[in-house]
Amino acid sequence: MNVVETSGLAKRYRRTWALRDCNLAVPAGRIVALVGPNGAGKTTLLHCAVGLCTATNGNITVLGGLGAGSLDALERVAFVAQDAPLYKYLSVRSMVAVARNLNSRFDQAQAEERLRGLEIPPDRKVGRLSGGQQAQLALTLALARGPDLLVLDEPLARLDPLARHDFMALVMAAVAASGFSVIFSSHVVSELERFADYLIVLANGRVQMVGDIDDLLTSHAVLSGPAEESDLVGGQFTVVQTRKATRRAEILVRTTGESRLPNGWESDDVSLEELVLAYLRDPSASMLPGPLATDELEVSEVAR
Amino acid sequence: MTTLAAAPVSPLRSEHPVPWKAMARVTWLQRRPALIGLLVVFVACALSIVLGQAGTHATYASFVANGCVQNRFHTPCGNFENWFAENTDLFSAMVIALHVVPVVIGVFVAAPLLSRELESGTFRFTWTQAVGRSRAVVTTLVLLALFVTVATCILGLLLNWFAHPFEIIGIESQWQSGLFDTTGPMLVAWTLFALALGTFLGALIGRTVAAMAVTAATVGGLLVVSFVWLVHQLEAFGALATNRLMPMGLNIGQLNVPGAQYNGPVGSWLVRAWFAGPDGKRLSAAAAYNVIGRMYDGPANGKVDPSRWLSIHHYIYWVSYQPASRFWVFQIIAAAILIGLAALLAFATVRIVRHRA
Repeated sequence: MNVVETSGLAKRYRRTWALRDCNLAVPAGRIVALVGPNGAGKTTLLHCAVGLCTATNGNITVLGGLGAGSLDALERVAFVAQDAPLYKYLSVRSMVAVARNLNSRFDQAQAEERLRGLEIPPDRKVGRLSGGQQAQLALTLALARGPDLLVLDEPLARLDPLARHDFMALVMAAVAASGFSVIFSSHVVSELERFADYLIVLANGRVQMVGDIDDLLTSHAVLSGPAEESDLVGGQFTVVQTRKATRRAEILVRTTGESRLPNGWESDDVSLEELVLAYLRDPSASMLPGPLATDELEVSEVAR
Repeated sequence: MTTLAAAPVSPLRSEHPVPWKAMARVTWLQRRPALIGLLVVFVACALSIVLGQAGTHATYASFVANGCVQNRFHTPCGNFENWFAENTDLFSAMVIALHVVPVVIGVFVAAPLLSRELESGTFRFTWTQAVGRSRAVVTTLVLLALFVTVATCILGLLLNWFAHPFEIIGIESQWQSGLFDTTGPMLVAWTLFALALGTFLGALIGRTVAAMAVTAATVGGLLVVSFVWLVHQLEAFGALATNRLMPMGLNIGQLNVPGAQYNGPVGSWLVRAWFAGPDGKRLSAAAAYNVIGRMYDGPANGKVDPSRWLSIHHYIYWVSYQPASRFWVFQIIAAAILIGLAALLAFATVRIVRHRA
């Protein structure tokens, strides 16, 4: 089952296309990181998934074919929006009561236990909580709904490192306990690898790269060798990025397995952060799922 | 890095009953300050009316006991009438206060209902909960509408009760535009209209202060227009005509006075007056004033019985009026128009919410 599936999804705000021709099929049981520069369409995609926006073209379904935003979908999809918007004039206890009454299945005992564990006072006004506590409260309310899919829009954006760690620890513990799927957008690329096992990179409203993170890392490599041979070696692979110094060159390439390198060249693993940043620096590069082509050099298909 | 097994899928729910009780609790939690404020306004108005009515009770009882209802030219009746004429301040204040009630509800309850959600971003929380955005808005509107309907229904009936002695004595009339809009179903209708308009403007504008300002201007403006012009236009519709009245002063044109002031039918409302000439046709205003001038400038030197003089000269003084029996028909028609508009605005609001991307 796919927790999110889009087909030719496009969304236009007046004259600006926030999403274009977006085709995705996100499998269930994954923690999916959605990354991309500002304005890439991350929030729009997530809003479409939870029914906050309607597609201009194409369609989007969740949890195996439910219409995004339908009552059936809303019962099983929990969303924590950017900046965790909650009623700041309400007490934490009242905020929990609001969430309980807006949902047919809501585990109040679980929510209260989590809030006790987080040392969030129930009588305090939401607006007087710290940014980290507000994010934790929003997440607690979402988790208490017992979702099959949890959607988080930039949950770490305004949190300090400690709060980021605590927030994601809460997510991971809940996922470990309940096994639901998570999609979260983030700018904090350096921390993705610790949490996510599936990656979607968006740029300019289009899907630039998507796949299992392990597969993405094993299908890319950093080749380093003499700068004067970089064009020759690069020509044998799908080059994502080339960096040349006076004598040495580093090429980030896509591979499908072992490849023969000339003498003087080395192949190293690529980190997720390097990989994401390389794709973000070159919006024309893409790696999408589809039939693989092979050639005599056993490299993956050219996608540039 | 974490790899997880596929998530268990919950069984689908085939039914989504509307959670009225739950939404009532949410509405109370979300709007508690506004609803408490509104309740204070309602109770203050109700208490003021009850105390005001209690203040007039003794004098009105004496008015009735002295047979003034049947014959107001009886000796002590004038004193009672004077007392009522001099003690209309609280009554007038309550009529004005009940005009303000729909504005208060529109501005402080309805306008922020959606605009605050949109402005603060909390719609991203509320509209993604299991209840669904359309049902959340519809149930909240229905619950608020029920609350204000009950409250304003009570206030309208109380004002009717307060107005009764003033009407019997002939100082006030339920047909007067001030009372027409604040008694019976009209107060309920204006309030529902203000609730729907404020919510609609809030959804449309998406800014709380701007929505409140536009709602105040629109509802307030419409109430003023209704008070000054619209109610009189409505009450002229399909008026009956009689030539059996002889209003003092032989006024012509718009009258808009209670029938009791000119010995008209009990509870009636005099709309308009005009002269018909010997040929049966309506005289122009200039011609009518010419007739009146001839009547008073004649040899009788002003000491003339107008009815007799007009009869001799084949002129007829016509008055159009609405009988008392039509009052509730007009109330129901006017209220139905306002409630219909409120329903349209509520429908438009739900459409805005449903399609807001």
